[in-house]
Amino acid sequence: MKGKVALISILLAGISFSADKLIIKKPPESLSKYYPPKSKKFEFVSNMHKMSLAFYAVNLNINAENWERAKEWAKNLEKTYKETAKMVPEWKKYFKPELAENFRKAVESQNVDEVIKTSKKLGRNCQKCHQDNMAIVKIMYRFPSFEKIKIEDPIEFTELETGKYMRKLSNSMKALRIFLLQGDTENARQAGEEFIERARQLKTMCTKCHTEEEKEVIRASMKKSSEALDTIAEILSAEKIDKNKIFSSLNAVGMSCSKCHNVHEIPALIQEAFEE
Amino acid sequence: MKKIFIALMSIFIGGCGPFEKIFVEEDLLKRPEAKRCGDCHAEIYKEWKKSRHAKAWVSENFREESEEYSKLKCLKCHAPLEVLEDKKPVTRDKHREDGVNCSACHYREKTNAIHGPLKVWSPPHPSRQDEFFEKSKYCASCHEDTYKEWKMSGSEKSCQSCHMPYMGKKDLIQNFPYHLLHLAKPRHDHSFPSLKAKSEDIEIRIKKEGKKRIIEIENVGVPHNLPTADQGDPKYYIIIEVNYGNRKVRKIRRTLSPEAENTLVYKKPLRISFFEREEPEKIKVTIYRRLSWKKERELVKTYLASM
Repeated sequence: MKGKVALISILLAGISFSADKLIIKKPPESLSKYYPPKSKKFEFVSNMHKMSLAFYAVNLNINAENWERAKEWAKNLEKTYKETAKMVPEWKKYFKPELAENFRKAVESQNVDEVIKTSKKLGRNCQKCHQDNMAIVKIMYRFPSFEKIKIEDPIEFTELETGKYMRKLSNSMKALRIFLLQGDTENARQAGEEFIERARQLKTMCTKCHTEEEKEVIRASMKKSSEALDTIAEILSAEKIDKNKIFSSLNAVGMSCSKCHNVHEIPALIQEAFEE
Repeated sequence: MKKIFIALMSIFIGGCGPFEKIFVEEDLLKRPEAKRCGDCHAEIYKEWKKSRHAKAWVSENFREESEEYSKLKCLKCHAPLEVLEDKKPVTRDKHREDGVNCSACHYREKTNAIHGPLKVWSPPHPSRQDEFFEKSKYCASCHEDTYKEWKMSGSEKSCQSCHMPYMGKKDLIQNFPYHLLHLAKPRHDHSFPSLKAKSEDIEIRIKKEGKKRIIEIENVGVPHNLPTADQGDPKYYIIIEVNYGNRKVRKIRRTLSPEAENTLVYKKPLRISFFEREEPEKIKVTIYRRLSWKKERELVKTYLASM
């Protein structure tokens, strides 16, 4: 019997994204009431965790032949499933309360074959919703939006939205490269100064969310980039500019940029697309 | 006369053991809102009410920055339950709109008493003298970065000596009849003045090394970085205008902030250098600041050098 029940674990663990195409739809408005800023309790995702825990608890207890405990957990699962079904009306179609009910009944009957059969059905039902919505819900609600973060331009002393600031930063870096390639050292000095200042100010954006110990992690990860900026500043204030040294320092800065872009850019682009 | 009255009352009440408990007001040991403390400590309450501590939670700026109080890790220093040594406080559940209130700093659960720097006899609540209140470290559980900066400065002035200045001897309480039981005590300002650096706190020097022009800006008067903050976003703005004559002006701008880690460290000059092809006629340096809870900038210093 243990072998059979172990199969339940494999089936449950198998709930994953196996589709070859993923259509991303904006989550329904009513879900927002279970996430910040409307709620700090994460009620919806908390119910998901409750169900996941109950599902595994049934499995664990059947394996240990503790059917009484397994029945209690199956009851909990059914209760939470039915509660959750009412939380987001737009997602009502995803929920099939009879599947949770049948699973609970199968556990009560202590019939392992029936438990496996009903758990498969319930698992597939969960999988369908996760496949359709989990990624986008995480992107929309677990990645704080950059929309509200403003950053003050250290050259023009004006407050800019993140996107606009990034464009200015990137343009001053490009201007530095272009003027150096053209041999126009005076303009390169000016563009370089602006780029360095803008790059240094970026930290003020990170620390809006990454506070306390996380702030130290940001500082450490930006250390090489800060040193590279100091090197560029030093070269630009010298009489003769060594452009190759500047290019190699710019690469070091770029490595640091890509670290953060790899984490934040894709969710931000998707959020932005939905906002538009 | 007042001293004789106090001595008699002390003997009378102090000698009566449990009789002293008659005067205890239990709710004072249950972290009441600041207004309740103000029933007796009216002047201190009035001062605190004007302070940034009192606005720590209700500040519009904080409401926006914490995204409607949803950034949970920001809340603990804006509505602390108990300010303790060497650890961040936890967030209070009640009276959050009070911000950093009386009980956060003065009530200690461990002793179930009100702590402070003075030895006092206070019938409505047990009191403990606590030397920790006079130490800069006291402020460090929330103002951690500023404390580190101050420590690096080697200054002998404590945080309290500037931000809770001595006001002379005054009554700690104002309500009748308790105020008759107290002598005037050394009082410190509970409006916690945030203070602002003055023009003379910043020195500017202009130097030349070969063809490199160097502008040195040094914080000589404030024993922590300028600007300073653990999480807020105060800024200093530096504008350097180099006038080469014939209307040719070169402008260099810098924005200094704790978050960008480029602030004016005490007695460690900030060097801004640039290459100069020709000799300038004049160099003007202007410094502005913006406090973290304000939108507008204000002038700190202007320096003009004819070359």
